[in-house]
Amino acid sequence: MSSGDRAPGSSDREAELELFRRLPDDPSVRDELVRMFLPLAEYLARRFDRRGEPLDDLVQVASLGLLNAIDRFDLSRDVQFSTYAAVTIVGELKRHFRDKGWAIRVPRRLQEVGLRVNAVLPELAQELGRSPSIDELAVKAEASPEEVLDAIEAVQAYSTTPLDTPLGDHGSAPIDVLGAEDPSLEILDEWASVGPALQRLSERERRVLHLRFFRGLTQSEIAEQIGVSQMHVSRILSQTLRTLREEVGGDDAIPEAEPRGSRTEPR
Amino acid sequence: METPRSDLISVSVPSRAEYVHVLRAVTASVASRIPVSFDGIEDLRLAVDEACARLLALRSGSTRLTLTLRPLSDRLEAVVTIDAVAKGDWPPPGIEETLGWRLLSALVDTVTLTEGPPGPSIHLSKRALDPTLPSS
Repeated sequence: MSSGDRAPGSSDREAELELFRRLPDDPSVRDELVRMFLPLAEYLARRFDRRGEPLDDLVQVASLGLLNAIDRFDLSRDVQFSTYAAVTIVGELKRHFRDKGWAIRVPRRLQEVGLRVNAVLPELAQELGRSPSIDELAVKAEASPEEVLDAIEAVQAYSTTPLDTPLGDHGSAPIDVLGAEDPSLEILDEWASVGPALQRLSERERRVLHLRFFRGLTQSEIAEQIGVSQMHVSRILSQTLRTLREEVGGDDAIPEAEPRGSRTEPR
Repeated sequence: METPRSDLISVSVPSRAEYVHVLRAVTASVASRIPVSFDGIEDLRLAVDEACARLLALRSGSTRLTLTLRPLSDRLEAVVTIDAVAKGDWPPPGIEETLGWRLLSALVDTVTLTEGPPGPSIHLSKRALDPTLPSS
């Protein structure tokens, strides 16, 4: 892709909006949007290249993200489509790696324990009226406390893989440019001072952050409220904090932590 | 209020981000035995992560990042220290206004910053699970 391809549409907001207005009635518009923004998907896929996945597969995944973005884009939110698409596509790419990574690198026994912990956690919390201890979880999940801790840590390790590297690390990635141009994304008033960083988070990331730090909900409560597992909330939180740290920290940004094991053979 | 239990557990790793997971895991393991609740442990993990990131940012000339845990019957105290010389003041002026500080104070019950030896330290403390109370 040539360098001139990036951020299609960013200079042409009206035309973009017009296309989306026609989208519900005119199926050909969808194809046109795909054509317009495919270079963005390819660009983002390339950013994830050389992590052991064939580029073609990554482009596929990114394109899927683009389709989702087209279908879910909400005109009433005053956000540029390219911003929204970039976030969605990157999310799709990360999920792809996370799913793969999980299957490859976490021993089966731990996967099983992890799944069981996930399954029993809500009901146990309900039963006890509080967050359970690891011992209580272990009994319920029929595993040792060590296994429960290992399973949780294994999940955590995924949130710290280099996949979370912000796209902006070369300074000129589309998301950098686009993310900064959207003053309208709903941000947390309380953290107005870190607004630009928050705007780069997805809506769900901001929601989790808000629930945890401003509403004071526990991870389990957040999980229940947004309908995902506690472990997923945990992943979202640690990834979000890392992103914010890098964005806000300026000179205190640190390189990505390498999770357990070596990253030299992703397959 | 102080209990007789005050065993100290200390773990030291090279001051590089890729070892922070060791400190997280040890914290979780010790916390689980007090016990700190599942959610509390998750918070502690994030807090240790954040504290380490803060300290690693200072790492001019540092070699070790050290975590000291003090399990008490009603809480876990954790101190992360780096053997670095802080650039500028430590604690940095206006730190209470920073995002990192707010995160830390939301994640644990108390946060204190002190200066060595051997270097800048962040002290965290997290209450133990009280089985008689509903989660807060």
